[in-house]
Amino acid sequence: MLWVAIGILLKILVVVSIALGTVAYLIYVERKVAAYAQDRVGPNRAGKELGIPFGLLQPLADGAKMVLKEDVIPGYVSRPLYMLAPVIAIVAAMIGFAVVPFGPVGPNQIMNFQIAPNINIGILYVFAIGSLAVYGIILAGWASNNKYAFLGALRSSAQLISYEIPLGMSILGMVLIAGSLDLNQIVNWQDRRVWGVVVQPIGFLLFLVSAFAETNRLPFDLPESEQELVGGYHTEYSAMKFGMFFLGEYLHVITVSYLTVLLFFGGWSLPFHLLNQNQIGFLSAVFKVMVLLFKVALMILFIMWVRWTLPRFRYDHLMDLAWKSLIPLSLVNLVATAAIVQLIYSSR
Amino acid sequence: MANPTISRPEWSTVIDSVLQKELEQHVLVTSWDKLLNMVDTVYNWGRRSSLWPLGFGLACCAIEMICTASSRFDIARFGAEVFRGSPRQADLMIVSGTVTKTMMPMIARLYDQMPEPKYVISMGACATGGGPFKEGYNVVSGIDKYLPVDVYIPGCPPTPQALLNGLIMLQKKIDGEHITNAPWYRGDVERDIPIPVLGPDLIDLRTVELTAERTALGLAEVREADLPKPSKIPAPQPEAEVVDASGNGAVGAEAAKPPSKIDLIRAKARGETLPAAGSAAPAAAAAPAAAKPAKKGKRALARPSLVWLGDEGLKELAARLDAELGAGTVSIVQAGLLVAPEKLVAVALYLRDKNPIKYDYLASLQSVHYEDCIEINYQFDSTIRPGSLIELRVRTAEAEGQGEVPSLYQVYRGADFQEREVFDMMGVRFTGHPELKRILMWEGYAYYPLRKDFLEPYYEAPAKVFPSRVDEGFGQHFRAEEVNPHGTNLKVPQGFTDWASLSSGSDPKGQPLLPGAIDVQELGTDQFIVSMGPQHPSTHGVFRLNLRVDGETIVGLKPVMGYMHRNHEKIGERNTFLMNFPFTDRLDYLTSMGNNFGYALAVEQLMGEDSRPPERAEYIRIIMAELTRIASHMWSIGFLLNDLGAFFTPALYAIEERELILDLFEWAAGSRMMCNYFRFGGVAFDLPPGWIERCRGVVNDRIDKKIDEFDRYLSQNEIVLDRCKGVGVLTPDQAINYSTAGPVLRASNVAYDIRRAAPYSIYDRFDFDVITGPNGDLYDRYYVRLLEMRESAKILKQAVRDIPDGPILPGKKSYQIKVPAGEAYSRVENPKGELGYYVVADGSGSAYRYHVRSPSFINLTALEPMCLGHTIADVVGILGSLDIVLGEVDR
Ligand code: SF4
Repeated sequence: MLWVAIGILLKILVVVSIALGTVAYLIYVERKVAAYAQDRVGPNRAGKELGIPFGLLQPLADGAKMVLKEDVIPGYVSRPLYMLAPVIAIVAAMIGFAVVPFGPVGPNQIMNFQIAPNINIGILYVFAIGSLAVYGIILAGWASNNKYAFLGALRSSAQLISYEIPLGMSILGMVLIAGSLDLNQIVNWQDRRVWGVVVQPIGFLLFLVSAFAETNRLPFDLPESEQELVGGYHTEYSAMKFGMFFLGEYLHVITVSYLTVLLFFGGWSLPFHLLNQNQIGFLSAVFKVMVLLFKVALMILFIMWVRWTLPRFRYDHLMDLAWKSLIPLSLVNLVATAAIVQLIYSSR
Repeated sequence: MANPTISRPEWSTVIDSVLQKELEQHVLVTSWDKLLNMVDTVYNWGRRSSLWPLGFGLACCAIEMICTASSRFDIARFGAEVFRGSPRQADLMIVSGTVTKTMMPMIARLYDQMPEPKYVISMGACATGGGPFKEGYNVVSGIDKYLPVDVYIPGCPPTPQALLNGLIMLQKKIDGEHITNAPWYRGDVERDIPIPVLGPDLIDLRTVELTAERTALGLAEVREADLPKPSKIPAPQPEAEVVDASGNGAVGAEAAKPPSKIDLIRAKARGETLPAAGSAAPAAAAAPAAAKPAKKGKRALARPSLVWLGDEGLKELAARLDAELGAGTVSIVQAGLLVAPEKLVAVALYLRDKNPIKYDYLASLQSVHYEDCIEINYQFDSTIRPGSLIELRVRTAEAEGQGEVPSLYQVYRGADFQEREVFDMMGVRFTGHPELKRILMWEGYAYYPLRKDFLEPYYEAPAKVFPSRVDEGFGQHFRAEEVNPHGTNLKVPQGFTDWASLSSGSDPKGQPLLPGAIDVQELGTDQFIVSMGPQHPSTHGVFRLNLRVDGETIVGLKPVMGYMHRNHEKIGERNTFLMNFPFTDRLDYLTSMGNNFGYALAVEQLMGEDSRPPERAEYIRIIMAELTRIASHMWSIGFLLNDLGAFFTPALYAIEERELILDLFEWAAGSRMMCNYFRFGGVAFDLPPGWIERCRGVVNDRIDKKIDEFDRYLSQNEIVLDRCKGVGVLTPDQAINYSTAGPVLRASNVAYDIRRAAPYSIYDRFDFDVITGPNGDLYDRYYVRLLEMRESAKILKQAVRDIPDGPILPGKKSYQIKVPAGEAYSRVENPKGELGYYVVADGSGSAYRYHVRSPSFINLTALEPMCLGHTIADVVGILGSLDIVLGEVDR
């Protein structure tokens, strides 16, 4: 028992530190992607003194600066909430990771690449936690006592709540088909048959669009839309508190990318059964983790690429899109999937 | 032996020096100092490699700052591309441009809001010491009067490379900092600065007592008492009376028929003196008077603009007005109609609605302070029959605060801001104007600065070059601030005693605001007021919008400007004619060549035929103007997309093309942005060899393709369509009535382009289309600009093909320009719209009155009706589609 606890703690530690490190580097990657999208070079100086190329130390510099910066708490904010908001934002983003499998999971694997294995409603948990993040944003906007922050918070609460619905419904199709809420099972089903994106193309599109909205990324980054609201909900935050929002946002991106890959792109499997799922062993486990990571990285790059390419929606159009198109469409998709699944099962 | 541990904390022990050396060689950390040094290295390295600038630009220098982020220079390499809109997240304030008094409290506030450690780079001559605008009454002569500056960058503007160098200097400076003596960890150093207040002038609260004392002594008044004041000239009188002995009447009589060139040269050879008021003689005396021998001074041909209604038409019009509205309504004065103030509105209504040529477009409105009156004059044109410009004059009492004229607000909404400007600058009240507030300066400012009897704080003499700065000064060179009693450019009237009421909390600019304009009939909601700007990522400079919003719907909107009012006109009245060229560059700093063009035309109109540019110069001018148009439209399209949320990518691609054009400018004129390339009668230098080929290459091989690329990627983008179609609609009638100009007017389906409506230079030789848009919405304004770039490319191709060889100036290069007395209004189609220069010359070396009809400023009049009922996101887009440049809005 003790060993299990220690194992879990270790896993948490590893995952959290990897996640934070990754996030820091994601910001760097984002800046590089932006640079390449704009025909520039991007950060390439930090680290030169030590002979490290490509500005690879940029995230460390940013981090060092942020930590050492004066942490201004303006006099007009409501203090407890102001302090609480970034904590909620980052904690909500973090604990969502608990059930995300980072590699093959299962009773006969050499190790469970998941902090909390054996939760058979994993996906529900992710969404439940994911929607907590909105509290961070609302509180930040409210506590800041700043009009831009307030508008940003208003926008984001409406946006996040609206997009939860299509987001949740878009995955139900996949859940029905695989017959399980367990991410592991869903991946295994895809490995046996085809990738989710083939059987659920509409579900995938709905998921993708809603996921962009959920993560506040362009073209749906209305809560912080810089050109309109300066910084949106985090206008009044400085130093590491601001950094925490930043980290939280990128953690969300990671989670969403994992989910997309797990639900629609076969997780750690390769198409045409190139990778035998039943094979266990150290090498194959590592390989599977690599496959998953690769797919996730592609997904993250895609999300970034979109950000530096598209203009932003307008707020009311965004709401129209959710309520008038996405939700009806996801309902139709759900019903149709349910009917077909039922037909196939009953015909067997 | 000296104690080697003198700087160490007390608890550390003294180590034998030999031992210490040994230790230092073998052990990494031997002492507290070394540890601190290591900490310093990391601490400093973090800050130096991650300097996030505050995303805020003040003036022309900000454009170069933005270019520094573009692909050619890429400030991102230093990790400094993360421009933060919120001061709370920024480390570095780049003061990029002219610091005005109106803006200074905001800058101080921003500085105070930035968290420690914070750094300030003063970019450009203006931020460092006031630069070319230093003498202005609204310019702070250097940001370091208020903020501690870390690095100064010289230049006007500094090139992007210079800014990068400045950044590297700052990094070096950071490298030398120590955690132990960093000022932000010391409790005894007050790093927050007091925010100055806008009282009768910009008052620094730290020195308020001293200021009060000096003001009470009346030092400013004492100094001004024995300064040479600008002399006022009398207003032009009706033709029938203006005949004096030296033969002004001759010009008047000649003007009736189109004068031949030979007549003009003769007239020039004769020369004529200024008209003396009251020396009235019958008109019959005019002809003999012409034969009289010449004295010094001469008058320019009387005509309001190059292309206008003509003398015959004007006489007819005057007769018609007299017949319709009662005799004595109007009289003809120097080719303009002098209207009695009480009849002004009736005349305007008649001109707009009943006259055969419907004068529906108020092109410009300005005021002149004469000896005996303040004259407001109006230039009207007709969009139905373009090119029939007329000028109306109204006169009112000269004494300060006495003038009163009926407002044309209800007839031409375009008069709104222009009348406010006249009120602000001359103190003339417009009865019937619903909101007669100061527009460029702030409520409570003590003076009307464009009156001739107002002297700026740094005032030395009516005209530059000041005697103290040239040879005649015999080495007694002095700077104006040395004789300025307040030590800064501060001026408070002696009677001011209300010092106690000044508080940094009050904001006299933009108050009061906003009637709730429309009702939102939905849920019971509360409205609240958002002040966007003057530091805001998408106000395109230091511009502010006061919004009243209901949810996200705009129910009231007022633009607040003047944060970059750098007194262009006042300074222009003291500059010699030639000296003013570089100042026009800095109006709309994205289109300096176009600005030069307009100014050159205005003065050439006064100088008459003998300043006619030779062929080659005309072609060069056209090439430059059209290249400018492409560069400016590129910029505006890129940043419109940025405002719509496409994060800088289109903008940076647009800048890439603009850079190519700037290269051409730099090659020909010597400067990227501030070209100062035009001269009266031509251009400053001939094109260097190879220039034409390069230009041809850029136009044919590059620009065309890029325009197509923009078209392909942007014009049909779903989100762009969604955001732009049907947003911010301006109907044709509105567009005309609000005096909008340029792409904004044409997008509303009014084919009014000065290049066709009142052709100047040699535009009549080129084949191009006037682009119009069908709906007048945001999308059309975008698309009209895109298509106009194509037309410009078309013109460029023709011009580059046909350009002849030859001289580029009609005579020798001249540094002493003789400009005959008279009045001129020139109009050019600048990328932003009709740019007009109104110049009154009195025969001396500098303009008596110099006014700029700025398209950005007047286009803003239409912002309010376009935005009401839309959302905040739309306002940003609509503002972007107006394409304002603050240098021109505030001047
Ligand atoms: S005039 Fe313009 S370009 Fe020159 S220093 Fe001032 S802000 Fe910069």
